[in-house]
Amino acid sequence: MTIFTINELRKTFTTGEVAEEILKGIDLTLQQGEITALVGASGSGKSTLLTIAAGLQPASDGKILFNGRNMTSMNQEQIRKIRASDFGFVFQSAHLVPFLTVEEQLFLMLEVSETTLNKVQQKKEIADILKLIGMEHRKSAYPASLSGGERQRVAIARAIIHKPQMLFADEPTASLDSKRSKDVMELIRDLTKTLNITTLMVTHDEEMLAYADHIITMKDGLAE
Amino acid sequence: MNIAWKEIKKSKVKFMILGSIVFLVSFLTFIISGLANGLSQDNAALIKDLPDGQFYMNEDAEETYNLSLIDPNTQKAALNEHDGAAALSIQMGFLNDEADKQRSVAFVTSTESELFENVQAGEIVLDRSLEEEGLKVGDILTNNQFSGEFTVKGFVDQQKYSHAPVAFINMENYKEMYRVNEMQLIFIPDGGETPVIDGLQSFTNSEFLNTIPSYSAEQLSLNMIVWFLVVISGLLFAIFFYMMNVQKIGLYGILKAIGVKTSALFKMMWTQMFFITAIALALSIALSQSFNFIAPDGMPFSLTAVTTVQLSIVFLLIGFVGATLSGIQIKKVEPLQAIQQGEV
Ligand SMILES: Nc1ncnc2c1ncn2[C@@H]1O[C@H](COP(=O)(O)OP(=O)(O)OP(=O)(O)O)[C@@H](O)[C@H]1O
Ligand SMILES: [Mg+2]
Repeated sequence: MTIFTINELRKTFTTGEVAEEILKGIDLTLQQGEITALVGASGSGKSTLLTIAAGLQPASDGKILFNGRNMTSMNQEQIRKIRASDFGFVFQSAHLVPFLTVEEQLFLMLEVSETTLNKVQQKKEIADILKLIGMEHRKSAYPASLSGGERQRVAIARAIIHKPQMLFADEPTASLDSKRSKDVMELIRDLTKTLNITTLMVTHDEEMLAYADHIITMKDGLAE
Repeated sequence: MNIAWKEIKKSKVKFMILGSIVFLVSFLTFIISGLANGLSQDNAALIKDLPDGQFYMNEDAEETYNLSLIDPNTQKAALNEHDGAAALSIQMGFLNDEADKQRSVAFVTSTESELFENVQAGEIVLDRSLEEEGLKVGDILTNNQFSGEFTVKGFVDQQKYSHAPVAFINMENYKEMYRVNEMQLIFIPDGGETPVIDGLQSFTNSEFLNTIPSYSAEQLSLNMIVWFLVVISGLLFAIFFYMMNVQKIGLYGILKAIGVKTSALFKMMWTQMFFITAIALALSIALSQSFNFIAPDGMPFSLTAVTTVQLSIVFLLIGFVGATLSGIQIKKVEPLQAIQQGEV
């Protein structure tokens, strides 16, 4: 089932007098529950495409359909709502909130997504996911005292705790060694399969492609 | 979950520094305004503590009560016509006690009135500060312009004029000492409209206070200091909140990216600002009120509850405006900014 469609997507950055078209008409279709990997040379526009798809920056032209709704014609508040309840993000670095414990990061995400779960259910949900990422013993720790891999695992937990329909990941394993990278990729794959989450992921790492259902290569502002 | 509070708990030092700045400027403002008010009491409690009303002096006295001589017939008519009106005079002078020690006082005399002490000839009623200096009821005092003697009849609280204690004397004694028959001023308590009296110029209480040159100059400079402090603290608040917000741009970006509303971020900032300011103000109110008690006797310090509350509200408002102005950045933060900024 198609859940996410990108149509003729264009993005032009203007720096001073110079306008440069980075995305030159991208077409992309994502099926529910599948992992799609974006690869391509540095500077080919992978992150730009991902952040536009995730509603973190506007497109210059084209259409993005999520569940049949056109995101490019939505206002800020509508997009914020989608980001809060239907999307999850993992980036190259974890971007955790420095003054919240691991557990509180997840509580905040549930609160922002306007969860219908009560406090007890939320607690259970959080306990489950912490076990899944192997962090239950660190639930009261602050981000500063976690290792890079641990932070990234918490970021992944935060990205899916509210059971989003879409997961956007930009080189989620870039700061990890190869053993940790595999763990994290397996985690993403298992979680997205059990929760039927659709994933769009940028990666540089050949090994990670084994986890993807589809691979899309970006070149000269186009997707192949 | 209250993220405002979580952040305060985690970054205690940062918020304590901000709180101590608010505390220091507000404390300083309270103290200076206490001194300003104390000095003004010391300078003119005699006038300030009167009910609202009108002062009258001769039109050709050039707004200087010392030069004013009110025609006895005008005075008689005015006192008859207006309930509670009184004619009075004020003169700076000296009293010598039994040990021949000289003290400067403000002699005040008035016609029969509830607003001023009325004393018999040869008697004198003094401000309480002279009792603290050792004078007692029954003491005999003299003045070199006065042929007789004054017997101290009693003391009254808070009657000061031109930084000197007031000495209430009988009108007959006054006329002898200063060789005049006319009074300088008429005071008519407020009866609604301002009565017009031919040949006399009227002043409200505060207008009259401002005709006293030492008073207006003194109050002007002190009030100037107080308002400068208020303005400076406003700027300090704004700058501090600004710097804090700049530091937190990455954080605001993350929160926005995961879908936190901008209004929630503002709420977070306001909560923190009110919390910090309230604690700092509570502390400086407590300290400035205890200063009220421990201030050395000679130091004119008077900080009323009304002034404290007014200034506190001004500080809260300034904090709010400062925080909100600096918070306009929050509105501008793009979620992407944080993500492209790298590690947080
Ligand atoms: N905000 C911006 N303003 C101007 N140019 C930008 C902006 N963001 C990205 N670009 C440009 O767009 C191009 C694509 O950038 P993007 O980050 O999407 O590449 P990428 O494929 O993710 O590369 P990498 O693999 O190195 O992460 C680059 O040339 C970059 O300089
Ligand atoms: Mg990139």
